[in-house]
Amino acid sequence: MRKSLLAVSALSFAFALPVQADLHINGFASITAGTTTGSNDQLYGYSNELDFKNESLFAIQVRSDLGDRLSVTAQVMGRGSNDFDARFEWAFLTYELTDAMRINAGRLRTPFYRFSDFMDVGFAYDWLRVPQGVYGLGLDNIEGVSLYRMAQLGDFESSLQLLWGSFSGGITLAGNSANARIDNIAGITWELERDWFSFRAAYLNGKSTIEAPALSPLFAGLSQAGLGGLVAALDFNDDTSEFIGLGVTLDQGDWVLITEYNRIDVKDSFFAKRENYYLSLGYRLDVVTPFVSYEREDHRSKSELYQPFISVLPEALLQPLMAVVESQAVDTKTWNLGLRYDFHPAAAFKVQYSSQKNDLSGHRHDLIAAGVDIVF
Amino acid sequence: MRIRTLIMAIALLSASALHAEPLAIVVHPSNMAELSGDDLSRLYLGRSRTFPNGDSAIPINLAEGMPARERFDERALSRSSAQLKAYWSKLVFTGKGTPPQEAESHEEVLKLVATNPSIIGYLPASQADDRVRVVMQLD
Repeated sequence: MRKSLLAVSALSFAFALPVQADLHINGFASITAGTTTGSNDQLYGYSNELDFKNESLFAIQVRSDLGDRLSVTAQVMGRGSNDFDARFEWAFLTYELTDAMRINAGRLRTPFYRFSDFMDVGFAYDWLRVPQGVYGLGLDNIEGVSLYRMAQLGDFESSLQLLWGSFSGGITLAGNSANARIDNIAGITWELERDWFSFRAAYLNGKSTIEAPALSPLFAGLSQAGLGGLVAALDFNDDTSEFIGLGVTLDQGDWVLITEYNRIDVKDSFFAKRENYYLSLGYRLDVVTPFVSYEREDHRSKSELYQPFISVLPEALLQPLMAVVESQAVDTKTWNLGLRYDFHPAAAFKVQYSSQKNDLSGHRHDLIAAGVDIVF
Repeated sequence: MRIRTLIMAIALLSASALHAEPLAIVVHPSNMAELSGDDLSRLYLGRSRTFPNGDSAIPINLAEGMPARERFDERALSRSSAQLKAYWSKLVFTGKGTPPQEAESHEEVLKLVATNPSIIGYLPASQADDRVRVVMQLD
């Protein structure tokens, strides 16, 4: 992975000197093309035209060891979906308190999921993409500080992460762009691993505030109608937000079973109660790993928010109110079938067919995508 | 025809003999560490950075594609080289670790181990000499 640096490293060993400012440069890339199979199908940013850009990405990571247990890591990524505009995906400094404990501070990956830390590094997993039903929340990076602690508990390797930070940035809410802020994010994740078994649990909470200009007229109208209480129950104003995630991986060498579940709630807001999970089963045949997976997204809209007002509110307020609340509803089931082919020590070819049934619209969206994931 | 068959038989035999040659896990002669298979795998997977006695340990790999490397990956780490590559890409791109440095030859392993009591390496058992101490043998 770092051939060019080997000579330097070998030299530093030969002289048995401590390494002063060791620079590690790594990169990864995915070149992926896909198209939906039906003319009206749309899925994961693809439509019915072959698209090479949507899921392709390039990234360079630089890590500099400054000595005395301090290092700096920065990852710059260009995503095709964003015209390959390079952005700092993360940038943090690491201080190793001990061999088993370290602090990261800066821009970090939010540790929601089992594969959060390397969800963009396709080479690190078998699927063509991480299961979008479970990984689709957004808010992938936060600014803050985290403490990792690794330990051995009996036969288990334990990794504990404590996290504190905040998020601010643009998001999409009810189809409108909005500015979001999540303050006081506190989180804990715990992973236990032993040979063929790993278990992970994550809990994060924070206070969400979202300003969506497009929703202001509705909220103003409701306030004028004397429904300030309803507005408070709808809007995102420093509202308690919770994320719970669970994951299990069984990897016995040939068979790989991975499952994750999460549940997300933002209290006193029209954010739907979300429950998502997937189950994936793969079988390694030497260099080829076929897999099948099933994903479920169940976002239950909080219809109870507007129901008491159906006969009370004028249509001009009721209609947009219902539209906003119901925009949060999602009910999909997705089957994926695909394979990974390790045709090169540093590159894998993948192909994946995804079929998503939207139970709200009754429509089925089918997508075929193929690509190459590389690390260098 | 017969000679060719014989040559092929010898070639096959020697290939399999080479393949079956045990690996020696080697450290500096002054390093008296005792290792279990589990300790070894933890060192090479970046899960531990010390010998069981607490002294710091620097594992050295052979370069990718070398027969002894593949054998080590399978025997000591119970993973294919491709699986290990994926394993390390997870750690590298999360800033959680870097894979062991790689040596390009068996001789380089011997030299590195002979110069630094922290370094641990491996090579085909027949190649280990008195510059190093064999701490474990993998069949």
